[in-house]
Formats: sequence, structure tokens, C-alpha cells
Amino acid sequence: MRRKSIGIVGLLALVLAAVALTAGCGSSGGDTPASPGASPTGVVNITMWHGDIDYAKTAVDALVAEWNRANPNIQVTALYNGGSDFALQKTLTAIAGGKPPDITYLFGSWMANIVKSPKVVLLNDLIESDPSVDWEDFWPTERLAATVDGKIVGIPALVDNLAIVYNKKLFDQAGVGYPTAEWSWDDFRAAAKALTDPAKKQFGWAYPADGSEDTVWHWEAMLWEAGGDILTPDDKQAAFNSPAGVQALTMLGDMATIDKSIYLDVTNTKISNVFNADRIGMLVTGPWDLPSFPNVDVGIQIMPAFVNHQTISGPDNWVLLDNGEARVQASWEFIKWFTAAQQNLTYNLAVGALPLRESETKLPEYLTFLKKYPGVDVFVENMNNAVKARPTVPQYSKISEALGQAIVSVLLGKADAQTALDEAAQKTDAILAVPVP
Amino acid sequence: MLAPGSTARRALGSDHMAGWLFVAPAVVLIGIFGLVPIAWSAIMSFQANDLVSAPSWVGLANYQALTKDPVFMASVRHTLVYTALFVPLSVAGSLLVAWALNRKLRGVRFYRLAVFVPVVTSTVATGIIFMWLLDPVFGLVNYFLSLVGLPEQGFLQDTNQALVCIVLMTVWGWLGFDVIIYLAALQGIPQELMEAAQIDGAGKWSSFRNVVLPFLRPATLFLIVWSTISALQLFDEIYVTTRGGPLGSTTVIVYYLYQQAFQFFNAGYGAAIAYVLFLAILVITILQLKIGAQRVYGKS
Repeated sequence: MRRKSIGIVGLLALVLAAVALTAGCGSSGGDTPASPGASPTGVVNITMWHGDIDYAKTAVDALVAEWNRANPNIQVTALYNGGSDFALQKTLTAIAGGKPPDITYLFGSWMANIVKSPKVVLLNDLIESDPSVDWEDFWPTERLAATVDGKIVGIPALVDNLAIVYNKKLFDQAGVGYPTAEWSWDDFRAAAKALTDPAKKQFGWAYPADGSEDTVWHWEAMLWEAGGDILTPDDKQAAFNSPAGVQALTMLGDMATIDKSIYLDVTNTKISNVFNADRIGMLVTGPWDLPSFPNVDVGIQIMPAFVNHQTISGPDNWVLLDNGEARVQASWEFIKWFTAAQQNLTYNLAVGALPLRESETKLPEYLTFLKKYPGVDVFVENMNNAVKARPTVPQYSKISEALGQAIVSVLLGKADAQTALDEAAQKTDAILAVPVP
Repeated sequence: MLAPGSTARRALGSDHMAGWLFVAPAVVLIGIFGLVPIAWSAIMSFQANDLVSAPSWVGLANYQALTKDPVFMASVRHTLVYTALFVPLSVAGSLLVAWALNRKLRGVRFYRLAVFVPVVTSTVATGIIFMWLLDPVFGLVNYFLSLVGLPEQGFLQDTNQALVCIVLMTVWGWLGFDVIIYLAALQGIPQELMEAAQIDGAGKWSSFRNVVLPFLRPATLFLIVWSTISALQLFDEIYVTTRGGPLGSTTVIVYYLYQQAFQFFNAGYGAAIAYVLFLAILVITILQLKIGAQRVYGKS
């Protein structure tokens, strides 16, 4: 009896293992026959996965409905992806399952990963042969972030950048003048120090110190402002351990360990609450954070400079996946319309996101947008300072990890900037030396 | 329709078959969501697999790389330290609490409920509570420390303290489960034995040591095995609080596995870590059961 039941379980396990094996081979082959794009009636149905909920979803749905009314031959279904943080895993799963969406929302940092999938539609030819997309109208940093090794992987979906968001009341109380567009990092440091009051548990600045990409990209903007770069132009070696990098990281370390003017959040979950409770004078953050500070009268100013004013931007993209010629063509037509100036401004009016295209700022409704979202004009203006982009190499997440450790070790006073950056550079060179598939 | 008395009919009608039919839904679900991924990840651990491009066969290269990976070695160390602290603290702690709650006491139901609430509280909520309690600047714990004149601590911000904070947080979070097991075991002790021990002149400590503890051995063995397995697989609490930091001081094996597979897209390498962990848990569990069985049942 007992022996027999073990036999059945064993058999079952064997069968399942065989299923897994064949399924594994199936997905590695990757060639499911392309489903016919158009139905016999001539209507092409396409699906778009996006990460918008609530009022933002309403805005997407309204635009999609408008398109579907005007284009009976291309019917779009917009589906919420359950949260964009896991959009890459879900998209990859859908590709492996053979039924990917036609259009999917992906973070810019994933472009170097998704480009390796044969299902991704590279947009170079479409953009070249179709001037109506007006590719140059997208901000430069968006175009850089959508391009991997010259291959255009996505079309910009959402853009932001970092600027100083400050608490006017705390500045007034401390008698410190508001940040200006001419501020240097020394001015920033002095103001942060003046705003710091240990007795009141009040800090000049706050910094996410969990070692994640959030830790890293704030500093990368500083690195660029000091005249440095993350990698060498050929993306083969680290370049961040330059004098510029040391200058930028030393500034951060001195503020944290000597002035103690930075509230360090190693869990990267508490900064908005603490800022909203009037305990932090300045943040360096983006427009998405503004709704988290209902209690604070905020001012917005571009980031201070070392040698120039820059910022960093994290553009996200719409990526097209290949479900047959007809559906690719239909997806292209739709996404071109969806990301055009007029439609994007309609969306931004509803959600407060920054214009994807420069020409949007010349549309008549743009003034309504500025009125509805006070302060957002600084972020829009700041797009002109977003001239560089993080390297679109598949190893970036590993490089970011190494850099994150370096930055946190300096913030916690465990290492000096030069040593920490040299160590991270060594790791980066090793990471980049490994050939990628 | 099958003829009455046919072999097929008999097979279908047998208890054996009926049993399998009853468990079939569970077997299918566990098979699809348990066994298939287990087999699949075994295959993946021999591949260079980034979940996107076509995987290539690399044999034992992933496992060989593991032996030379200092971060993996550090994660093993952190996991062992964590387990060595978590298991005794949670098992001994829960025994004390269960002992305290196993009596007729006004409001004892409320206390039992209170002890169990953390178990059913979501890890995310627990994480947020502890992150604020342990905040070096705004946290209540440092506030109380300063009230009694003790120096303020860095807690999750301090590379030497972060892992200990995670231990305390998880002990608090999972104590209630262990307490329930011990309470059940304590209530299974025949009252006559306790009375007999008292009549024989055994004091409180002596009857605890000679009557209660031996009766609790099966429960203790179960809890040690169970807690060790959970401790070796620690992930959620790290993910919602320190994310392996500061400076990697709380990077445990499963968190490193997650980083490799889903942050760096080294799914093959991640699968290899998963298998090493699986084998380690298997060996440790077998050892514990072998040694434990001798202690629990060997004397009787």
C-alpha cells in the first residue's frame, strides 16, 4: 500500500518534470507561429498594457475611447498591468506564453534587457520612414534613454526630472533666502546647515540611503553637474571615479557626516512623511512627489551647480511587441497618435505629468496646465538641463548596485569618496568585462 | 458504463482510487505551482538564463561561480547568524510566553489574542511599524533610550545592528505561532501527572523540568525544525525594510537570490543559489530530525 502510493507520486513528479522540460524547450525555441493580425472583417484589435490607476486610468481610457471612435479599423484595448514595478516580469512571462500585448509600458532602465527579446519591434525604420512622428520633438534625454546601441527600443511614455523642492516656512524661520537658479552646491550646503537644528530634529536635506537606484541617480545628477560621466564614451569602463565624481561624493559625505545636515533614510520609505511634517528644509526630487506634501508650502528650484546646472531624468517608454505585421502597423499608428503633443497634453492636464514633447509648451492649453499645477513650470524648464542619460547597457543594474554601496558607505562615514568610488569602479570594470549574450 | 464486477470498476470503486480523486485538485495545484517550478529551476540552474534571450547550457558553471562569490559567502554568513539567533530566541521565548498564558487568568483570552495578532499582521505593516520605531532620529525606541540616559542607537542604519534588529522584529512577528503550538502541547499534559509530581514533593521548577519539558519535546522538535526552515528562507522582512543594507549587512541568501534573478537578470545563477539553499535545508532538517528523534523518543 505504502509502496504503491509512493510509486504514483514518483510517477507524477516524473511526468511533471517532463512537462517542465518540454515547456522549457518550447520557450527557448521561441518561435510560435505569428498569429494573423487582421480579422476577416478588416478590424485590427490591439492590446496596450499600462500602469495607470485611478484618475490617470480614466485619462488613458478617455483617450483610447476617442481613438476607437475615430478609427473603427484599429480597436485598442487598454489594460492596467497591475503596477509598473513588475511590468518587465509580466511582459516577459506573456512573451514566453506566446500572447504578449502589442504595446507595453516599461521603465527606461529596462530597455537594455528587453531589447534582447526577438519579439521587440525596433522602431528605427518606422521613425525614419514616417516623419509625422516628429522624433526630434521628444526631449533629448528621452531619445537617449529609448536607444540601446543605436536601436530605438521604445517611444517615450512619461518623463520627469529632479529639482529642489523646499519648505518655504522653514526657510523663513531660519532666515535663509530661498534657493535661486544661480545656486552652487556650496550655497546649497550652507543653506542646509543653517536649516539644520538637532534640538528640533530638523534637517536641511534628506537622502535615500538604501543603496538602490534611488540612492544612485540623485548622485549621478551631481556627478554630471561636476563635469563627470558614469562610463567612458564606449561604455567599456567606469568613469565616475574622476575628480568630478570625488568632488560630488565628497560634498554628499561632508554634508552627512560633518554638517549632519542630511536626514539619511536607509529604508527609503520615510522621507516624504518627514518632509510633510516640516522637519526637512529641502528635497531633491521630482514632480511625482508633490502630491505627497499637502501640509507644506513648497517652492521649486532647479538643482544647484558645481560647474553647470544639470538634472537627471527617468523616462519610461512604450515598447511595441511583434504580433504580426498588421498589428505592429496598427500599434504604431495608435502609439504615434497617443504620444503626440495634443493627446499627451490632455493626459498631462489630468495627471500633472511633464510634457513629453517640447512643442507641447507652445499649445494654447499649456497655460491651463501651468495654472492647474503651480510650480511645474520649473520642472518643465528643467527638461533643458536634462542633457545626459544613464548608460543603456544591460549591466547597468549591477553597476548601480556597486555605486549604491559606494555612496552609502560615504554617507555613513565608512569610507572616503575616492576609495569608495575606486572600489566601485573596479567592480564596474569587472562587470563590463564579462561578455553578454 | 462499466459492467459490475469488472476490474476497472473495482479499481475505480476502491478506497485507494477514491482517495486519489479527493486529493486530485490539491495534487494538480501543487504540481503546477510547486513541482513544475522546482523541476524547471533545476534545469535553469545549469543555464545562463536572463529570462529574455535564449538560454544556453553552461553545466556546473553557475555552481562553480557561487564558490568564488564573496557576496554569496557573506549572505550565507548572515543567514547562519540570523538562524542561530532567531531559532533559540523564538522557541525559548514562545515557551516562556506559552507557560505564562497557560493558566486561569482574568482576560487570558485577550492576552493570547494579543500574542497572536502579529502573526496575522502583514509583513509590510510590521516592517513599516518597526522602521518608524527604530528610526534613529524620530523613533520611539531611541526616545525611550534617551529618557533613561542611554546613548541613542543607529539600529537599521548601523551595519552592526541591522541584522539583530531584523531578528528582534521577526521574533516578535512569529512568536505567536510558536506560542499556539506550545499552548496546545501544554494543555495536552495530563493533570494527574502534575498532581502526582506535586505529591511526590516536586517543586515548581522540578515539575517543569521533569514533567513538562519531556512532554513538550515533540512540539519543541517540530518548532526547531520549522523555525530553522523559515529562518533559512528569510526574505519578506528584509525586502520591506533594509533591502539587504546598509552596505549588504542584512543580505541573506534568499534576498541575494532575488537580487540576482530579478534585479540583475541572472536567473540561472539565482536558480543555482536556490538549489544550494534547498540542499542545505534538506541536510539540516534531516540532521535535526535524526538527532531530535533520539532525544524525543530514544529514552522511552
